[in-house]
Amino acid sequence: MSKKSFFSLIICLIFILTIAVGCSQPAPQPAQKDPAAPTGPVVPDKNEIVIGSVSSLSGPLSPIEGAAFGPIRQMWVNDINARGGIYVKEYDKKLPIKLIEYDDTSDIGTMTRLMERLIVEDKVDFIFPPTGTAMLFAAGEVANKHEKLLIGMSGGASEIKQIIAGMPYFFSALNFSDTQMPALVNMMVDQGVESAAIVFIGDLHGVEYSGAAVPQLALAGIDVIYVKSIPPGISDMSSLIREAKAADVDAFLCFAYPDENILALMQSMELGFNPKLFLTGPGGNFGFFRDIFGDQVMEGMMSWGAWNERSSPGSKEFVDKFIPLYGEPMVDWWGHNLYWGALQFFEQAVEKAGTLDNAVVRDIVATEKFDTILGPTWFEGGMLAEECHTGEVGQWQNGKFEVIAPYDKATAKPIYPKPSWPR
Amino acid sequence: MVLEILDILISGLLNGGIFALIAVGLSMQYGVARVLNVAHGEFIMLGAFFTWTLYTMLKVNPLVSLVICGPIVFVIGYFLHKTLYRRIRLSSESQGAFEGNSMLASFGLLFIIQNLAILRWGSGIKGYSYLNFPVNLGGAMFAANRLVTLLFAVAICIIFYLFLTRTRLGKAIRAAAQDPDAAGLMGVNINQVLALCFGLGALMAGLAGSLLSMSFRVQPTMGLEYTVIAIIVIVLGGLGSIPGSFIGGFILGLVGSIVSHFEPGLSLVAYYVLFMILLLVKPTGILGR
Repeated sequence: MSKKSFFSLIICLIFILTIAVGCSQPAPQPAQKDPAAPTGPVVPDKNEIVIGSVSSLSGPLSPIEGAAFGPIRQMWVNDINARGGIYVKEYDKKLPIKLIEYDDTSDIGTMTRLMERLIVEDKVDFIFPPTGTAMLFAAGEVANKHEKLLIGMSGGASEIKQIIAGMPYFFSALNFSDTQMPALVNMMVDQGVESAAIVFIGDLHGVEYSGAAVPQLALAGIDVIYVKSIPPGISDMSSLIREAKAADVDAFLCFAYPDENILALMQSMELGFNPKLFLTGPGGNFGFFRDIFGDQVMEGMMSWGAWNERSSPGSKEFVDKFIPLYGEPMVDWWGHNLYWGALQFFEQAVEKAGTLDNAVVRDIVATEKFDTILGPTWFEGGMLAEECHTGEVGQWQNGKFEVIAPYDKATAKPIYPKPSWPR
Repeated sequence: MVLEILDILISGLLNGGIFALIAVGLSMQYGVARVLNVAHGEFIMLGAFFTWTLYTMLKVNPLVSLVICGPIVFVIGYFLHKTLYRRIRLSSESQGAFEGNSMLASFGLLFIIQNLAILRWGSGIKGYSYLNFPVNLGGAMFAANRLVTLLFAVAICIIFYLFLTRTRLGKAIRAAAQDPDAAGLMGVNINQVLALCFGLGALMAGLAGSLLSMSFRVQPTMGLEYTVIAIIVIVLGGLGSIPGSFIGGFILGLVGSIVSHFEPGLSLVAYYVLFMILLLVKPTGILGR
């Protein structure tokens, strides 16, 4: 074989091998549609948003739970599900809410254990807050550890402001003494109140409110006759009431819970103590107070809050929806519109996030502004902005809980002095 | 000064009357039926809720409710003993074992009754106004409803004491309290008597609940605080002693009133301090054996 023929054979062989190798590879085909395959990007499958709730369904805190956030939580879930759910872009559909509820029996240890269980074992997407101030503080730690968004509802204290900076996943929707007390004291000064007696429950709530009231009243020139602590479950406050009556104080401020406030009001009537200004909080803000004592007794009674159906168009809509379901005695004229507004805010935050990732939703809650029952609503430093509050102090007038302070949010002028107890 | 002392004394008597009534009921259940019924307060709660329901829905006078609510709670207590505690008693190896087992069962009963009440009436606070006006007693002002409560509590306790001391059934109960086995041998139907005692204890609690509802809030979780007070009073008065419980109730009421006059926050503390001192100094109580 000549040298020329050998090279021709090698070239032909390479050519044939090249063609053969080329033929062994599948030729590029035009894409064919598989009817079973999803179109576009892969969408994870999820049919519901699971929200976990640990609250005090039994035990000493159950009356507050039943009157404050409990009915709002239930109504919101039903309302969302009636509308088909919350649209979540990540899943490209509306997802209804599935609520997993546990009872902490008003025990803080049980609450933290069950909250851990919700997050770790039940793997809920979001969590709802427990009942009461101390519970919220503890739940905030758990939520933050697991990076779960927690918007506090019933309960809390101004002290939250100091610790909330270290808990980026914890937000608070309720207003406290830092915005309420200045509004109350200002109104008291304008009405000519000269003296006050203060009774407070010996826990974080009472200590905070009395601690805020005493210096502010003193600075305003109102004489504080006495400041007395009472324990939870006290069964006789007659000595305190007699002392206030003997001193003929203008204002009687009872910073305790409904149990103690009912007793204070009953014994004041029984002992004929009728101060010109009588504030009970939390207590007088609940519809059940009016249900127990009637309009005549409640006329002129003050409490924290505050809102009513005239506070905003959304408030009227909320009242029209809530009262047929639960009844007027179940309305909390301090917190209910704040809780409902916060949940409307949360719904919009999830929609905007387009995901159930708590970190993403948390960032939106911290930075965005949405329209709710409260009007434009936003959080500042973890707290619901003061501008979103519909009022700070309320007063029963003709069977309605009117907002009386601050004046720019008032729905009525204060009645001072309050009328005498009915005979 | 005189007015202040009068205030303290009458306040103490007003609280003491209701403490006595509650404690006499628990004394029957523990002193005779040997059941340390920690759910005693739940029967008080039931009495209060029945009265509240009758008053708010049917406008039944709370004092009339006493004759309706008391028997209802009695029947509940009677059948509870017949069905639950009797079986525990028969299956327990000794008296000590029965007391332990029955106390554990009472804890369960506490939660069952409380949660049933939450399901029926909700967890919220209820109440109503009745005789809610001041009455002047020698210059000191007191609520009319509390004075009525005191009068009824004392009257109920006296009637009950007369029942125990003057009737044949009362004699059987006292015999069962002293020695159930011997009473049984003497022809006393011991199971019947023990169930009756438990029912009577529940009856007293129900009546106390009805009276309390006139001047205090009503809620499903209200019972435990009264159970604690009743336990302190029966220890103070002497376990199993009806007169002791009656006197003990008034002593505790007066102690609470005196302490509360100077520092209202310490009245509960005073009850517990008194309880601990008694356990150390005179564990048998004032009239205990």
